[in-house]
Amino acid sequence: MERETLDVDVLVVGGGPAGLAAAYRLARLNAEQGGEPLMVAVLEKARAAGAHMLSGAVLDPSALTDLMPDWKSRGAPLDVPVRDDRIYFLTARRALPFPVTPPPLRNHGHYVVSLNRLAKWLAEQVEAAGVDVFTGFAGTELLYEGDRVVGVRTGDRGLDRHGERKGTFEPGVDIRARVTVLADGVRGNLTKTLIRRFGLDAGRSPQSYAIGIKELWDVDPDRLPAGSVIHTMGHPLRHEEFGGGFIYALPEGRLSVGFVAGLDYRDPLFDPHVAFQRFKRHPLVSNLLAGGQMVRYGAKALPEGGWHALPRCHADGALIAGDAAGFLNSMRLKGIHLAMRSGMHAADAAFRAVREGDVSGARLSEYARLVEEGPIRRELYPVRNVHQSFAGGLLAGLLYSGMSLVTGGWWFRDPMPSHAGHERTRTVKRYFGGGVPPEPPGVPIDRALTFDRLTNVHYSGTRHDEDQPSHLLVADTDICRTRCIEEYANPCTRFCPANVYEIVDADAGAGKRLQINASNCVHCKTCDIMDPYQIIDWVPPEGGGGPSYEGM
Amino acid sequence: MKTAVCIKQVVTRDWPLRPAESATWVRDDDASFEMNEPDAYALEEALRLKERHGGEVVVCSAGPARISQVIREALARGADRAIHVESDALSAAGADAVAAALAAAMQDESFDLVLTGLQSDDQGFGQTGVVLAERLGLPHATIIMEVDIAADGAGLRVKRELESGWFQWVAMPLPALLTIQSGINQLRYATLRGIMAAKRKEIRTVPLDGVASQGQRILELYVPEKTSATRFIDGSAPEAARELVRLLREEARVL
Amino acid sequence: MTLVIAEQRGGVLNPATWETLAAAQQMNAPVTAAVVGARVQDTAAELAAADVAEVLAVEHEALEPYTPDGFVAALAQVVEATGPERVLFPHTYQTRDHAPALAARLGRVLIPDCIGSKDRDGQRVFVRPMFQGKFVADVLPEGPAPHFASFQIGAYRADACVRGAAAATVREVAVQLDAAAIRQRPEAPFKEAKQAVDLTQAERIVAVGRGIKGQEHLPLAQELAKVLDAELAASRPICDSGWLPMDRQIGSSGQTVAPKLYLAVGISGAIQHLVGMKGARTIVAVNKDADAPIFEVADYGIVGDLFEVVPAIVAALDGD
Ligand SMILES: Cc1cc2nc3c(=O)[nH]c(=O)nc-3n(C[C@H](O)[C@H](O)[C@H](O)COP(=O)(O)OP(=O)(O)OC[C@H]3O[C@@H](n4cnc5c(N)ncnc54)[C@H](O)[C@@H]3O)c2cc1C
Ligand SMILES: Cc1cc2nc3c(=O)[nH]c(=O)nc-3n(C[C@H](O)[C@H](O)[C@H](O)COP(=O)(O)OP(=O)(O)OC[C@H]3O[C@@H](n4cnc5c(N)ncnc54)[C@H](O)[C@@H]3O)c2cc1C
Ligand code: SF4
Repeated sequence: MERETLDVDVLVVGGGPAGLAAAYRLARLNAEQGGEPLMVAVLEKARAAGAHMLSGAVLDPSALTDLMPDWKSRGAPLDVPVRDDRIYFLTARRALPFPVTPPPLRNHGHYVVSLNRLAKWLAEQVEAAGVDVFTGFAGTELLYEGDRVVGVRTGDRGLDRHGERKGTFEPGVDIRARVTVLADGVRGNLTKTLIRRFGLDAGRSPQSYAIGIKELWDVDPDRLPAGSVIHTMGHPLRHEEFGGGFIYALPEGRLSVGFVAGLDYRDPLFDPHVAFQRFKRHPLVSNLLAGGQMVRYGAKALPEGGWHALPRCHADGALIAGDAAGFLNSMRLKGIHLAMRSGMHAADAAFRAVREGDVSGARLSEYARLVEEGPIRRELYPVRNVHQSFAGGLLAGLLYSGMSLVTGGWWFRDPMPSHAGHERTRTVKRYFGGGVPPEPPGVPIDRALTFDRLTNVHYSGTRHDEDQPSHLLVADTDICRTRCIEEYANPCTRFCPANVYEIVDADAGAGKRLQINASNCVHCKTCDIMDPYQIIDWVPPEGGGGPSYEGM
Repeated sequence: MKTAVCIKQVVTRDWPLRPAESATWVRDDDASFEMNEPDAYALEEALRLKERHGGEVVVCSAGPARISQVIREALARGADRAIHVESDALSAAGADAVAAALAAAMQDESFDLVLTGLQSDDQGFGQTGVVLAERLGLPHATIIMEVDIAADGAGLRVKRELESGWFQWVAMPLPALLTIQSGINQLRYATLRGIMAAKRKEIRTVPLDGVASQGQRILELYVPEKTSATRFIDGSAPEAARELVRLLREEARVL
Repeated sequence: MTLVIAEQRGGVLNPATWETLAAAQQMNAPVTAAVVGARVQDTAAELAAADVAEVLAVEHEALEPYTPDGFVAALAQVVEATGPERVLFPHTYQTRDHAPALAARLGRVLIPDCIGSKDRDGQRVFVRPMFQGKFVADVLPEGPAPHFASFQIGAYRADACVRGAAAATVREVAVQLDAAAIRQRPEAPFKEAKQAVDLTQAERIVAVGRGIKGQEHLPLAQELAKVLDAELAASRPICDSGWLPMDRQIGSSGQTVAPKLYLAVGISGAIQHLVGMKGARTIVAVNKDADAPIFEVADYGIVGDLFEVVPAIVAALDGD
């Protein structure tokens, strides 16, 4: 088989804010430092730039301004400054405003943006600066020489569902690079293998995650002025669950309505999709959405472990940036600026390493120094225990968040203990103390305000070639019908927002079996994170497949 | 052989479209776009003909600036260069206006063969190709499932699809225009090299001032209303079945 | 005057012509039918049964077999000689092949694939689907007459064409054609089993869903398809399990179809399925769940167990 190869100096995997900022920075360094320019390429699995971007999003523009001081004149889609910032605590019927918005949650000087549009625009800037942006190509494997990362292999295209070659078969490409910057986002598939291979998370707290589900709505423009920002806590979550809702107002009556739920819930029957629907039915939200129309939907996980959960982000020939590493401030629900900042630092380290001809981990550890000494640590260190503190319940969390502002993040134990989220899920028996579990809170589906999963997925624009091997590798599907069904009642059917996992009758009355509708997948990574037996491996489907998050 | 392929950019197939404020077009400012499907097959056919007979493949597209997305995609798949007739007024233009715009820009190129898709997924006029042939003075054939260029390059034979499983071979002199049916071939993937090479390929932009008379105007665009409520048929299975068959015969008249 | 271009091949009239005549008769203008070919006296006589002002028989040796060049040249002369207000066609493959060029040659535009026509504020507009049936549009022809439109097959009923009290007169119209100027050289049509089924062309479709439970029950649906002379299709889970080939899948990642009859058996009606079949003219759903979303688009619904209802439908069809 003839495999195409391509040699570059720096390969960036992932066309999100981290990867694009890294690429742009490299192009700028090329221009500023003179000399033989480094050849830089970006690999992105989405069929078009930005198509897999899903965020809130309130943007802290600090990193963008440092990356590209002239962003305004270059037409960056930062149209709406935040004008109004409110936090509510929701009970089932009421919304209690927080009297003051704590300083770190204030968004003065920030912008309400669509990350999809921002990434699309940034990708154009990156291309114009001379970088190749390859959309529709997924990195499936890291290439090694000994223990040094020397690039990435992209996925084969044109395989049928049994793995046989179709007429259009096109083998994956080996892109060889002196430095590979992994910006493959939350629970990135390449980052995951790198961390495992070198134990980069040794001695760190386990990463914790949340799932964010979001819809775009078109409503009467008078409903909520553009630039309004609302955060909620409480209903429909209980004290034991971490998370909350957000509503950000874009121009022309477009609302970004989302809900974040910690992927460390104990109740095995908890259903994030249902929680989001219940959130929309709260009067605070339903009054805003009444008569409007849902136009887009999506879901994506986010890393919430913070400072203590950051792995070592450098290895021989490789760096990790953005959500892939976990640079996200979960208290502010903000990661874009940190993703960009880390991408810039990674670019600085990679550029100098390549120029000096030393791409060893030791040389690339300059990246860690830049993170330590720069704005990333300044922002993340003081809030390092916030998410963990919510493990003790909402009130303890709020108390702590408040206190940490005073104490600078000091807590009784530092770092606070933390468990991987999936380990906190209890068995049905344990959680409900034997007996029949109560019917979990359902939600009426009217397909106007509330939607079933499949209808929602339709609005994510998700598309995959159906005739390809499943990209959800379940190591042992027997567990699903023997153990999991008994122990956890198949939580995959609830935590997957896209109805990828179904438990159906097996043929000929032989009990149940797991049905995987891989082409429904919106690439949120929740199953890879949350499955209690850790037997689901998310690998990229054929490049170009996945959601189409226009405007998200 | 010098082949032109006319490519249109359309809103992605499953984009949840809504009528625009004006109610004469859809709200597509925030939509996602893609290459019109039959046009992708036309491009593939042109590339295959080039592989067999040599020559050049030129993408010809008429539309607003955003269509450069599909132009670049076509160049990445292997087209040699492109002509972009650019005007915002073309984004919702009918087949006639598009064909006129294309014809003007293509006139002097003297193509041997012009391929278009059979129809577009948005307006579904299915006539840009035929009108373009008329305007360029070329013979044409539609709904093509196979293309055979004569060894001497003077003419070609094409397989046309007729209704209900019938086909027909038609011979024609070159230059000619064909409208290509989806499924005529298997589409190739864009390669990394193709994407890199595309950056260096020429896109000639031809500005267009004003769109010619369209000959037709959309007064209103709306979601078709379901005409009748669902009629539930009760009774035992045999009763319900008999009643259904009767209704299908006498009321719906579909049997 | 409304001029309707009839379609015939080898002396056999395409029945869609009657539908277009029916459409024309509803436009408050006298209707003339024209039939084009080498020998069209018989089809012209057949058309004369309709309530039309007259039938034009346009004969020329060079018009057989059909070529777009020949038809455009001939029809341009007919239109210029008769000066109609509008020219209507059945929207067949042959119409698609030449009518747009004819309109263009006369400096006009064809409004194709219409499903209706109506008077809107005193103007005659044509109603046509757009965006693959997601929308319909009222389209106003602009500029001087004649205006050109074609009508989707099945949009009007052939038996809605009013018959005349007496046969209309048949008038021969001579056209000047230069056989040498016809550039297309068609060969004889031939029939070919397609490699893939083309459900988009099917008139009737029986579609099965997961309610069928097992592959072993598929013959039930096959039997129904057979007695209805319908193609068999399915929702995704059926094709995904390999019970039917993938080219029989209806929906957003399968085929989009618009048959006259779509009978959905044991299909819940998820939006991804609905987008592929909503455009069917008559939709029948059999499902045991009265709340299944498929009923929201169905014209006729039977709430019941498909294992009882489907055999009963087969029996009811067989019974006569
Ligand atoms: C619901 C929600 C709301 C949020 N709200 C805010 C907010 O208001 N403000 C804020 O600042 N942040 C917010 N965030 C966080 C923010 O969106 C992320 O921190 C940020 O997007 C991280 O950027 P990134 O580039 O690291 O990763 P991503 O944005 O995830 O980008 C990774 C890219 O890599 C691609 N990729 C992954 N794997 C591969 C592969 N193998 N091969 C090729 N390409 C690959 C992906 O397709 C993707 O395009 C929110 C997140 C969520 C989920
Ligand atoms: C990106 C994406 C693309 C997709 N593309 C497609 C597509 O192209 N086509 C497609 O079809 N789907 C597609 N789907 C899947 C779609 O969402 C649904 O899952 C699917 O259509 C369900 O098929 P079904 O109705 O057969 O099964 P189910 O939803 O399981 O419905 C079975 C129905 O059978 C009924 N039933 C059960 N037993 C009986 C009985 N004895 N008698 C009568 N009724 C009975 C039940 O009441 C139920 O309504 C797609 C999904 C996604 C996310
Ligand atoms: S399969 Fe996994 S990654 Fe895909 S949508 Fe479901 S939970 Fe998310």
